Amino acid sequence: MTALVSIDKLRVGFGGAAAVKDVSFDIAPGETVCIVGESGSGKSVTSLSLMRLVEFGGGEILDGRLVLDRESGPLDLARADTETMQQIRGGEIGMIFQEPMTSLNPVFTIERQLTDGLRMHQPLSATQARARALELLKEVRIPEPERRLRQYPHELSGGMRQRVVIAIAMACRPRLLIADEPTTALDVTIQAEILALINRLKRETGMAVMFITHDMAVVAQIADRVVVMYRGDVVETGPVAEIFANPRAEYTRALLAAVPRLGEMKGKAAPEPLRLVGDDRAVTPLTPRAVPEPLLEVRNLTTRFPVKGGVLRRTVAQVHAVEDVSFTLNKGETLSLVGESGCGKSSCGRSILRLVEPVSGSVFLGGDDVLAQTKPALRAMRRRMQMIFQDPFASLNPYMRLQAQITEPMKNFGIDGGIEKAAELLDRVDLPRDYLRRFPHELSGGQRQRIAIARALAVSPSLIVADEAVSALDVSVQAQVLNLMMELQADLDLSFLFISHDMAVVERVSHHVAVMYLGRIVEIGPRAAVFENPQHAYTRALMAAVPIADPATRKLDGDLRFKPIPSPIFPLDHQPAPSVYDTVGQNHRVLKEV
Amino acid sequence: MAYIINRLLSVALTLLLISLITFVVTNILPGDVAMVIMGTQSNPEALEGLRESLGLNDPLIVQYGRWITGMLTGDWGRSLVFKEAIGPLIADKVTASALIVVMSMSIALTAAIPLGVWAAVHRDKWQDNAASTTALLGVSLPDFFWGIMLILLFARYLGWLPSSGFVHPAEDFVGAVRHAFLPSLALGLGLMAHLTRMTRSTMTSILGQEFIRVARAKGLTERTVIWRYGLANAIGPVMTVAGLQVGYLFGSIIVIESLFNFTGMGWLTYQALLNRDIPLIQSTVFVIAAVVMITNLIVDLLYVAIDPRIKLP
Repeated sequence: MTALVSIDKLRVGFGGAAAVKDVSFDIAPGETVCIVGESGSGKSVTSLSLMRLVEFGGGEILDGRLVLDRESGPLDLARADTETMQQIRGGEIGMIFQEPMTSLNPVFTIERQLTDGLRMHQPLSATQARARALELLKEVRIPEPERRLRQYPHELSGGMRQRVVIAIAMACRPRLLIADEPTTALDVTIQAEILALINRLKRETGMAVMFITHDMAVVAQIADRVVVMYRGDVVETGPVAEIFANPRAEYTRALLAAVPRLGEMKGKAAPEPLRLVGDDRAVTPLTPRAVPEPLLEVRNLTTRFPVKGGVLRRTVAQVHAVEDVSFTLNKGETLSLVGESGCGKSSCGRSILRLVEPVSGSVFLGGDDVLAQTKPALRAMRRRMQMIFQDPFASLNPYMRLQAQITEPMKNFGIDGGIEKAAELLDRVDLPRDYLRRFPHELSGGQRQRIAIARALAVSPSLIVADEAVSALDVSVQAQVLNLMMELQADLDLSFLFISHDMAVVERVSHHVAVMYLGRIVEIGPRAAVFENPQHAYTRALMAAVPIADPATRKLDGDLRFKPIPSPIFPLDHQPAPSVYDTVGQNHRVLKEV
Repeated sequence: MAYIINRLLSVALTLLLISLITFVVTNILPGDVAMVIMGTQSNPEALEGLRESLGLNDPLIVQYGRWITGMLTGDWGRSLVFKEAIGPLIADKVTASALIVVMSMSIALTAAIPLGVWAAVHRDKWQDNAASTTALLGVSLPDFFWGIMLILLFARYLGWLPSSGFVHPAEDFVGAVRHAFLPSLALGLGLMAHLTRMTRSTMTSILGQEFIRVARAKGLTERTVIWRYGLANAIGPVMTVAGLQVGYLFGSIIVIESLFNFTGMGWLTYQALLNRDIPLIQSTVFVIAAVVMITNLIVDLLYVAIDPRIKLP
């Protein structure tokens, strides 16, 4: 069979530097090829080159051929003129992107954005185009398609917007769909729905899919063939089963080793670091102490945010962000708060440190009531509880040297040590000491997150709240940072409140897990109990949606549709019912449905 | 609806505050209306008599009450210099200046938007530098410089347009436009510079957004992508800045109208200040403030019409 697309020795430069050095692979009609790699691997640049969109971002195709097998014969897209490319874009190749929130023009209706591409490629009247647009929305299974046509993008949820973007890409029945990280910005249940949708459309229309992702679990779920990229080169190509079972390239092996796989902790009593390629240190599980010693006790914590409105900007409603949440975190252990966006997990973490003020409840840290402290006393108390944030690019001050940033909290609390202590902290997080003289922009994302950890450790806290602390990192870096956190926990007897949306990571690092939904903990218990014997319907839905990094267990097919999460905004006089739990096992509790 | 009420209330409140400040400041200044009318060498008793009859000996708050009631009921008093009722006088001059304001803004926008878009599309290339340099030239040179240059070029050497003077648009519209053209152009050049930079920076950030890539991936032509998808999103911020510029414009017309001997609102304000025509100063300041604020209110309401994300609650 002749290839639909044949990329041959592609080389793409950005102002002198080559982002793609020597890339060759084929895509056959009707197959799904996953391009997988970490940031900077050139996977997106490759796909943008195929669409010749790379020029608009300042890139230039320096060499190589991009042959598309058209009805009129093969054509090298690298040398095609503007008019031909405009026919191919949207006509023969459709493309979807990462950010559904910004992929649609905010000031045009959905109808206009669907029909203008259609009418560009096909001689349709306004009425015909409208009918086709409606058909497309039905094809991507959007509820109430007629109404959506008249709506603007901001009136749609993220999942719906991504369906619209897919409908736009599918409008002219392309023979190839390029999907550039289409589910990375989405919640796991929405991700499952979108992946199932792409699979179904591929099956029904016979189009080929070029799927760009950094997520090996997603690859395992949808790929027929895999192209592994690293720093602008293809390091390995092969059928998906082959790549997972028998990776040949060193880099592929390292990548696979770094991916936590949901279910692989089955039967293990305690979290354990990932075994990374090239790291021969013995992996020791983190056994908690025999008699657990509580450090953080949260009882009936409730946090609400006002919604303002009207002429006088009065509070007209409230967001019930955290609703009657109780849990206990023991010394030297990790408790994870897991859930989808908007479930209140971050608000919960912030409420505990009083970065936002809770409405009611109590928080005891080592026996001291956090919520009862006066401002100065609270400041002193913050020494015992530190936080690590998601985005290491935003959480470090770009104008300060790292030495100043690490010693600043020590100065704040009058702790001796200064530069010597800062240097020791860098040893602790495996960074060279001379980094103290550097500025944040000289470091990679993973290195910055290590600095953020060092800064948190500077005041020797007993509790660290890690809010999506590894979510923005590449998978190999994520694994290193996770291992570092576990190592620090074992050495320093640290307790982590680990806030994450990633079920596989949570399974790897936690002693206890609390699943949050609509501001409440719906299920809480020891890690093994929650993951191996999930009781609440939402926990089960979450587990069903998580892609598993194993091509043998594919589950994202058919028409997946999870129940959308209702709004947490309630009128002022709303009196929510207290959270009542059924005990289903030792320390394993499930929220009673009201 | 609540939004409109909110805005109208805040406009009314600001105007009241401005009226109070103008009134107090003009009263603190040495020399009152009676002094201006009778001159500094006048008989103290006669001066006192005039003060009494004009009510200048009443407490300030009473005087303010009387003045603001007059303003609200349409009795704006008489100008000391022009010996005319202020209301009709201002109405006449506002129409004249409106021509300049509208023309200069139109000139500025028709030049700035294409120039800014052009610069954004060719970001960091020579076109961008050329546009930025032009813009910088416009900002850094004052309006009156452009005014003098334009008079020399169009009136003196080419003889195409009158160098100065004023024709009321109600009498001869073409003549009015001819007379207003050079002052408008002088003002427009300065405005254009700001608006070009604003258009450029807004368009630059919009062209970097994902929906522009999606539009290109649909196969739309560059013209559609830039002028429809891009500009539709950029027009709101540009309009906002243009609305704010109207305030500066009223500052600039004081100089420009005097330079071109164009007897509009700016010229009137200048005459009022020069002759310490206190009632006229108070009224002109009040009117200018009102016009600026209402323009911005209109811009904000237009924004609502352009951008579906902003809903009137």
